Amino acid sequence: MYNSLTRIQNVFGFFTTVAFVVGAIIAASDFTAPRTPSASIKPTNLQVVKGRPHYYSSKKEEYALIRFSLDADLSSLFTWNTKQLFVYVTAEWPALDGGAANQTNKAVIWDTIITSPSSDHLANIGPATLKKLRKSAAGKSIDPNRGKLSLKNQRPKYQITHPTGKVANTDDVTLRLHYNVQPWVGALTWNQDVDLGLWKKMSQGVSKVFKLPAVKRKDEAKGK
Amino acid sequence: MADQLLEQVRDVVDGQIDFEGQKLADILATALLSIVGAVSFLVGFLLQDIALALKIGLGGTALTFLVIVPPWPFFKQHPVKWLPVGTSIPSSHQNIVIDEKILVTQ
Repeated sequence: MYNSLTRIQNVFGFFTTVAFVVGAIIAASDFTAPRTPSASIKPTNLQVVKGRPHYYSSKKEEYALIRFSLDADLSSLFTWNTKQLFVYVTAEWPALDGGAANQTNKAVIWDTIITSPSSDHLANIGPATLKKLRKSAAGKSIDPNRGKLSLKNQRPKYQITHPTGKVANTDDVTLRLHYNVQPWVGALTWNQDVDLGLWKKMSQGVSKVFKLPAVKRKDEAKGK
Repeated sequence: MADQLLEQVRDVVDGQIDFEGQKLADILATALLSIVGAVSFLVGFLLQDIALALKIGLGGTALTFLVIVPPWPFFKQHPVKWLPVGTSIPSSHQNIVIDEKILVTQ
């Protein structure tokens, strides 16, 4: 500490240590905030169509379009340390026999990113939408209401298929809601299978079992 | 003339402080940064605002740099007392030892 340079080095060294410890304490403080997510989801419209993976591919595959309605309350997941919430819906169905029968087919049909007001400036939106988003938070540092989702007959983002190219008439399909809490400091966490202290697993969040229909025919005049 | 000016600049940039000052600088740096860390977490946690916690943390650290790094006068309160040049002890009474041989002077 005998000259300015060594004092700069020492102060900076201790600053990085303090920053790391404070970050660790902030991440640990997340466990003191309870998580009580709940959701209900159901499919509203099912279609299976034939199509190609891309314009020039020769293979024709069957794609399932699953429209759904979702009511979710994920507001308890927003704390001061939450940067974003990534929410996604998967369609899942068990694999048939013929080898490993203990497998489940899972495909994401829809997802969205919900930013916390502290990270609105990082969202993939233009200046006008950003202004509206900031106004909706009304100056609060965290806005749990953004975690309340209510979607009616939502069009899926992705049409799903199976590696075999066939999804028509599949049995035992369910829709399941997932979330991924992305913090400012700390580890990524997803929806849980079990309760962990104050963090409860999502109540419901899985739809009833449904079946995918047959491939839609073009000649509807014939009465399908 | 330029030499003397350069010497002065060099002294300020070098920023040497005495030993008591160094001890004070060490204690002060540790205490200030620890307090800054604690305050930034507590304020952020109580107000549930992480941007504010970050601002307090970085601002407090900048303040600490400003207090510790420049050679302020309060770091130079206890300068080392060097013995005067050319001591009053005559050389015949000094035991000068060079390479393990005592140099006896007249």
